[in-house]
Amino acid sequence: MIHGLFHVMSIIALVYFVVLNGTYLVFTGVAWRGITQHRRERRYAALEEAFASPLTPPISILLPAYNEEAGIVQSVHSLLALRYPSLEVVVVSDGSTDSTVERLREAFDLVPVRKALRAGIETAPVLATYASRLKPSLTVIEKENGGKADALNCGVNAARHAYVCAIDADALLEEDALLRVAKPIVDDPERVVATGGIVRIVNGCSVDHGRVVSVGLPTSSIATMQVVEYLRAFLVGRVGWSRLGLLLIISGAFGVFRRSLVEAVGGWSTTTVGEDVELVLRLHRHLKERGEEYRIEFVADPVCWTECPETLRVLSRQRRRWQRGLAEALWRHRRLVGNPRYGLLGMFALPYFLLFELLGPVIQLLGLPIVIVAFAVDSVSLGFLVAFLLMSLFLAVLLSVSALALEEVSFRRHASGREAARLLAYAVLENFGYRQINDVWRLQALVDLARGKTKWGEMPRRGLGLPNEAPSRS
Amino acid sequence: MISVLTWGAAALAVCGWVSVCALAVRRFVLVRLERRRGKAELRLRRVALALLEGESVDLTDLNGDDADVLATVLGRFGRNLRGATTARIASFFERQGEVYRQLEALGSRRPWRRATAAFVLGDMGSRQGIASLRAALDDPDLAVRSAAARSLGRLGEPTAVEPLVQALAERRIPRSVAGQALLAIGEPALPVLRNLVRAPEPEARGLAVELVGLLGAASDGAELVGRLRDSSAEVRANAAHALGKLGAEEGAAELRGALGDRIPFVRAAVARALGVVGDADVVPELLQVAREDSFDPARAAAGAAARLDPAAVRYAAAVPGAGPHLHEAADLVEMAG
Repeated sequence: MIHGLFHVMSIIALVYFVVLNGTYLVFTGVAWRGITQHRRERRYAALEEAFASPLTPPISILLPAYNEEAGIVQSVHSLLALRYPSLEVVVVSDGSTDSTVERLREAFDLVPVRKALRAGIETAPVLATYASRLKPSLTVIEKENGGKADALNCGVNAARHAYVCAIDADALLEEDALLRVAKPIVDDPERVVATGGIVRIVNGCSVDHGRVVSVGLPTSSIATMQVVEYLRAFLVGRVGWSRLGLLLIISGAFGVFRRSLVEAVGGWSTTTVGEDVELVLRLHRHLKERGEEYRIEFVADPVCWTECPETLRVLSRQRRRWQRGLAEALWRHRRLVGNPRYGLLGMFALPYFLLFELLGPVIQLLGLPIVIVAFAVDSVSLGFLVAFLLMSLFLAVLLSVSALALEEVSFRRHASGREAARLLAYAVLENFGYRQINDVWRLQALVDLARGKTKWGEMPRRGLGLPNEAPSRS
Repeated sequence: MISVLTWGAAALAVCGWVSVCALAVRRFVLVRLERRRGKAELRLRRVALALLEGESVDLTDLNGDDADVLATVLGRFGRNLRGATTARIASFFERQGEVYRQLEALGSRRPWRRATAAFVLGDMGSRQGIASLRAALDDPDLAVRSAAARSLGRLGEPTAVEPLVQALAERRIPRSVAGQALLAIGEPALPVLRNLVRAPEPEARGLAVELVGLLGAASDGAELVGRLRDSSAEVRANAAHALGKLGAEEGAAELRGALGDRIPFVRAAVARALGVVGDADVVPELLQVAREDSFDPARAAAGAAARLDPAAVRYAAAVPGAGPHLHEAADLVEMAG
């Protein structure tokens, strides 16, 4: 009886691994096609024309800031200097207890102005609003603390333009990133309602005056593994989902949205830690329920650089928070899962996220012990055990290598051969411990969620705004 | 089962190794190629500048790779130049047979090759490609049509105006691409655009009105004023915007009437335009809109009133019930000193 049970469970584990990795491989193929096409399209993207055109829609950049005194002035300077025909920057200090606003006041000669704010989305009370004598396109809002989502909503209420770009206060955008990420909107403003760009890890890069001047790899192993992980997530995952018209995540660090639509769905949710995925899901749901033709796109080349955790403690917090965010978003929109009314979104994308992203850690962590126990109780042979392990390992490595290959044939940001070799080594090494510990944290998140735990702690940052700094090498 | 798994694992391992080796070789080759191209670019930049200056340059020794690099450098310069220099670049490409090659590529089976060719023909500045580019506006692929439209704009080709407008009206090219191409053609596009402001398709009317606002003169005001009563809200908003852009003061009275439009974004555009072409007489109405209307029109009206009569806005903002928009406008007036 037990023999049979373990045998069946081993087969289930095997099927799960094959289906999961097979899906990843299909995505890699789709992404490969997408990236190749995108690379060709860049030759005739006409970005210069879009930059010079008075028809390119203006964008309001929303910068939620909580205790960002170290880098806020540099961030705002670099945003105001972005290559885009018409933009405004709205900084929302979300109850900062440090001198974030004071720094901005000094740097930009801010003057209190009773700015009119839309009442569209309810937010925590606004304490003061400022305009700048030096930069007319800068608005600063000081409000009571309500979290990042609340600050973004406040920014939406203050935005003047029809499109808003949400970015993290510690994120660095490349000079033409906004123009590139907005290009699908410029080309098809009626259908494209939101776009997101790629997030890359800045640890190890040299930063000068809010710009990445040379790309490098972090010295820390944990951070380098995240570089591989981000490449896989963005170049394979996001490109693949976007090509299928099923993009569910636009990173909170960098995304452009049609403002009227964000208002129509009530803005970013303040009651989840995964407000970015939740908003995109809500947009899909809203538009599908109205039968509207729309597109939410990921663009692979506009880069937003962001700092990643370099210690296991902080990384674990971040991953648990992400997993919890996903769980909350899926729970909130559970009616869509498996619902044919929502087309491929309901029948494929959401079941995939439920089975492989949310419950994946449970199955993946159980799969290996089950096969080992099955071997111990003679349910499966040694040959099966070894073949299973090798198959899982080689599939995982191949997937990581494919992501690196995509990066290599498309953007090749890591110019030195030594760095490429290091990335390759980490693409193999991450399968021995790193991915498993990630699964443990993600599982912990589900346990925490079940226990009602809501505190996640801070993510300490080194700060990116200062000249000539290479964060992970300091 | 075990043998399937074993063979599968072996196949994956082989795939992984082959990919890694292929990538390593590719990187090695690319790095060498890029280094060589970089050196060639530095060497040939001087030749390119001499060509642009109209000096006679002996190109008989130029090998195929160098010719490609020179073409790239000249193409890059070509994007930012106009007039005689463009003609010299075009003549270089024609002599080198590059225009002919791109025209051939316009007939390629692969859409991306056709799109690249259509785009590059615009950078080359040669008029030999105009007929083919016009024909490419009917290409089955959107990217090719868009690249052709962009190139026709870059070449400033007046005969392309009607096909561009037609392609826009039939939604064969995006509005932004058509608009930018027509703007690049400039004044020669105006007669067709003026006719187009009465086109049956609201999309085409809307863009035409917007472009007349950007390219036209104050004398176009009379035609645009009529569009303030268009059946399409977008056209009405664009007409108001265009009147403001052109500074067409004869449109002020009609604009004043349009402050009562039923669509908020039209009222907002009208208020903004009045801030440019209106006078002190319209300020009380603007103040009323600023106090009572919905967000966007009210904000626009407050800003317009502040532009026309800052003192009146300061005064109105001090009155109880002035509303947030007048407060903001008054504070901004104060800040500006």
